[in-house]
Amino acid sequence: MTSLATLFTELGPAAKSPSGLVPFRFREVGGDVLLTNFLGDWLFVTKDEFRSLARGELDPASPLHDKLASRNFLRDGLDQAKAAERIAYKKRFLNWGPNLHIAVVTLRCNETCVYCHASRANMDAVHTDMTPEIGEKVVDLMLQSTSPSVTLEFQGGEPLANFPVMKHVIEYALARNRAYGKGLEFTMVSNLAMMDEEKLAFLVDRKVQICTSIDGPEHLHTKQRILAGGNAHREAVKWIERINKAYIDIGLDPTLYHVEALLTTTREALKYPKEIVDTYVGLGCRAIFLRPVDPFGFAGKTAQIVEYDRAAYNDFYRTAVEHILDLNRRGEQVLERYGSIFLTKILGDDDPNFLDIRSPSGSGIGALAYNYDGKIFSSDEGRMMYETGDPAFQIGDVFSSTYRSLMKHETVRALVLASIREAQPDCVNCTYTPYCGVQPEHSYRTQGTIFGRMRESTLCAVHKGIQDFLFDKLRENDPKTVEILRRWTTVRARTHFIHASSAS
Amino acid sequence: MSDMSFHLGEGSVRIEFDEGLYPKDAIYGAAYVFIDRCWVHLDRAGDRRIQVTLKAKKPGADTQAFAGEFQNELLGQAWRLRIVEENKKLVESITARALGGAAGPPGLDELLAMDIGEETAFEDPLGIAMSWEEKYKKKGKAEGTKAEPEGAADSASGGEKAS
Repeated sequence: MTSLATLFTELGPAAKSPSGLVPFRFREVGGDVLLTNFLGDWLFVTKDEFRSLARGELDPASPLHDKLASRNFLRDGLDQAKAAERIAYKKRFLNWGPNLHIAVVTLRCNETCVYCHASRANMDAVHTDMTPEIGEKVVDLMLQSTSPSVTLEFQGGEPLANFPVMKHVIEYALARNRAYGKGLEFTMVSNLAMMDEEKLAFLVDRKVQICTSIDGPEHLHTKQRILAGGNAHREAVKWIERINKAYIDIGLDPTLYHVEALLTTTREALKYPKEIVDTYVGLGCRAIFLRPVDPFGFAGKTAQIVEYDRAAYNDFYRTAVEHILDLNRRGEQVLERYGSIFLTKILGDDDPNFLDIRSPSGSGIGALAYNYDGKIFSSDEGRMMYETGDPAFQIGDVFSSTYRSLMKHETVRALVLASIREAQPDCVNCTYTPYCGVQPEHSYRTQGTIFGRMRESTLCAVHKGIQDFLFDKLRENDPKTVEILRRWTTVRARTHFIHASSAS
Repeated sequence: MSDMSFHLGEGSVRIEFDEGLYPKDAIYGAAYVFIDRCWVHLDRAGDRRIQVTLKAKKPGADTQAFAGEFQNELLGQAWRLRIVEENKKLVESITARALGGAAGPPGLDELLAMDIGEETAFEDPLGIAMSWEEKYKKKGKAEGTKAEPEGAADSASGGEKAS
């Protein structure tokens, strides 16, 4: 059987496209050929069927013709108004400004992690604490976003190290939002080691979603995250269980309301795909985000220890997700977040507005990051680069910038232009373009250009690897597996966490 | 001489190529990518030949890899120029929608920040306060040309001021 790579060489001048097809892209997945069109519709054809298409042959009476017609690959019968509606719906995030506002309330942290993305400072570095005044200015800018809902995410360092300011900012935001009436949410990313009952009571009462880091089983977690005088894993697990109980105590459904945990996949973690999944399931987590290590913050400096070839990551991903699928077949309700994001686009005909996997990316127009000192960045990755000496992504500060000056900043404009997939080499021809996205800061950090060279991009390798895996599952078409994958596209809103204040 | 060649030096690499191979913007773009890691020198090596020298800022750098990366980046820049040209309308439309949606309409702060003084308060660059005759007919007659269609006149940034 001819491989796809040599098919067109063999066909030579005989190669021609059948008339009446809409523009499409193709890629060999498993033993078949995946076709995708500009609407995000997709379809598998056999190599023989593809060979016929490549010769310009398409019998109107053939099953292939019907298959192509049913998935909008034929110009005849394509409902153009509906197509435009679908595109506009999936790109509706373009109508709004930043929804995610990341406030780094301190760089101080009580843990030392091998891959730290946050550029931490020691616990005595109180000069890296955000002041209440800066916190108020962050809120004032956030509420000017054109987005009808906004999320204020507290990060660090360890945000609990500057809890009084976090508290103040939450109270201030709740009070100020009475004039704006936005859907307002708070989240906090914490290692939980500085949590106590008083702080927890406040956070639960003010409906602050709590997210933590779990690197996997205890031996792996404690090796990568050092808590002076304590055990980072035991502290995190203890508080996850306590917080989840607090949610149950106020009558929330534990399958929906529980502590979310994030994984950073280091080289060491690659050895434990199943153990990591089992750790998360054991903690009551319903979503696992198998994120590869980022090249930002300290991870850029410790790359020799934590980094790895992305082919190894893709093997890790496949093993972990196969295990997650097995657990689902046995009745466990757990999903993988990367898979869920891509599947929502592939099967759900929607875009979940995940800022790093959309086109254009959410840098600036989807998220803003506010450093403890009031400097504003197009993303948290941009802020981390500033902390390691490169201010390329600073777009203003809370003292002098207006909201519109941030959105009209030349760096934001450049980031939008650099992340439109249809305008980039490789992406323009990639079968996965309808579902994919890049993070220009990642390209800048790893390749020196916000546009990036996708063939050399580790992010592209990860996105392609994951989508190859998912599409191969869809190609196999096992009914039980497809049903599980479809379930991963269903988002249950956590309405309890939304402060729906009406403007007064 | 081949269209492209490179020469390794002490902590540096010199790349020479025919200037017709790549658009000048692509050469600038590719060279710029290296300025954090290298001292970059652009020059003309001879008749229609461009010379780019990348001198590593830090000792021990893999300068041969720099040469390869530079050539890849040149190709990427050149191809991107062409793709952007072909998809110009799509790119402009997405960018305008993204930035317009994020920024929203101007608010009171922006109006207050505008430079409105005695000298500028009565400027009328779009000719809104002018009569139709003043704006089109007289101008057309005076210049001996046809009056422009309304849309064209509105979008022209000629900046005529009401006198």
